[in-house]
Amino acid sequence: MNRSAPRSIDQYLRQLREELAGADAALIQDALYDAEEYLRAEVAAHPDKSESDVLELIASTYGAPDEVAAAYRDTEVKVKAAMATPRKVPKSKLGAFFGVFLDPRAYTSLFFMLLCLATGIIYFVFAIVGLSMSAGLAVLIIGVPFFLMFVAVGRVVSLAEGRLIEAMTGVRMPRRPVYQGTALGFWARIGEMLRDRRTWTTIAYFVLMLPIGIIYFVIAVMGLCVSLAFIALPITVICAQAGWFGMGGVEVFSQAQPEWIFDSGFAIPILGVAGVLLLTSLMHLARGIGRLHALFAKSMLVARTAPAATTAAASGAALAAH
Amino acid sequence: MDDSNERKFQKELNGGLVGLVLLAVLAESDEDLYGYEIAKRLANANEGTSIFKEGTIYPVLRAMSAGNLLTSRIVPSYSGPPRRYYRITEQGRSVLAEWKVIWASTRDFVDRFTETQPLRIGQSS
Repeated sequence: MNRSAPRSIDQYLRQLREELAGADAALIQDALYDAEEYLRAEVAAHPDKSESDVLELIASTYGAPDEVAAAYRDTEVKVKAAMATPRKVPKSKLGAFFGVFLDPRAYTSLFFMLLCLATGIIYFVFAIVGLSMSAGLAVLIIGVPFFLMFVAVGRVVSLAEGRLIEAMTGVRMPRRPVYQGTALGFWARIGEMLRDRRTWTTIAYFVLMLPIGIIYFVIAVMGLCVSLAFIALPITVICAQAGWFGMGGVEVFSQAQPEWIFDSGFAIPILGVAGVLLLTSLMHLARGIGRLHALFAKSMLVARTAPAATTAAASGAALAAH
Repeated sequence: MDDSNERKFQKELNGGLVGLVLLAVLAESDEDLYGYEIAKRLANANEGTSIFKEGTIYPVLRAMSAGNLLTSRIVPSYSGPPRRYYRITEQGRSVLAEWKVIWASTRDFVDRFTETQPLRIGQSS
């Protein structure tokens, strides 16, 4: 803590961001949001004092940036530990392989893969309609406001997508939107929004979600169908041979199946076992895809460094400091 | 004892107490409160300086909200970002009741040793 005490809200937020460097991007976004709420309320509560006078006392009330950063890191760790249901992790390799069936994340991730087709279509349509209508309306006076509204709605949608991903995969995503700050004027805020890399990666994410959603959906449906069919095969064969079901004297397995499956005694149990292995692998795959997708979403939807809350002067100073 | 030692002790003590105090403040309040307001209530109760840094209450509020002890709603604000107003839930109230009992027995236990009345130690009260 050998740096100078912050003298403005922007400085404070920048120092807090530096203190939180390396922490989860979503945590940083939430911490900055909270700090900004407090600091702006504190400044507004002391109209007789200047911003720097108020900030002078902030270390003893709100806490210095390093203390606040430490509080967020600690609480995050504690909450994560308390919220995660303790799960027995099987020790043996075999146990670890089949243990995936005990992990709720595997099921939710598999569900997420199926859901991605639906959300992907919605996001894709939203992005394409928004972009094309913005382009089409550009010649009219409402073109620019329409585009700005499209970007603003996109941010809300991206926050909702983040909440969905956190619920499904357990990867931390932002719980607060990025706050742009009132320090900037209306036009400056629009400028910041257009310069913000995240605005464009969010739109790219929406467009990409359609192909990605199709791939996820196909993997999930194919994997489930094939593995469940294999698992069901020995069971149905046993039931059919025992005469538990037939279709009015017609043999269930008469044609269509290659002879060898029923001729050899081995093929059917082997296919059943293969089905179980395939289903287990699918659960592993789903869990892995869920995590990877969450990281991808985080890189596209969450600001990597700075939400554009700082003024142009502050961002200039930040550039100079680097 | 130097200053950093004191601070460390205070910080360790505060670990669970922040949650207890926040629940108590929200349970007492008739209206929903937002982070800054809660922070100021704590500070005012202790002659202007809160025992814990006000920045540490926000992550705890959010954690308790995630744990269904609090509910929250967002209200736009003129001075800054939209504010999140918190209200205690029924579950929060029952947790608070349990925590109060734990706190009271802990406090009494510690007092037995730290209060300057050596005769009380070892006696049943």
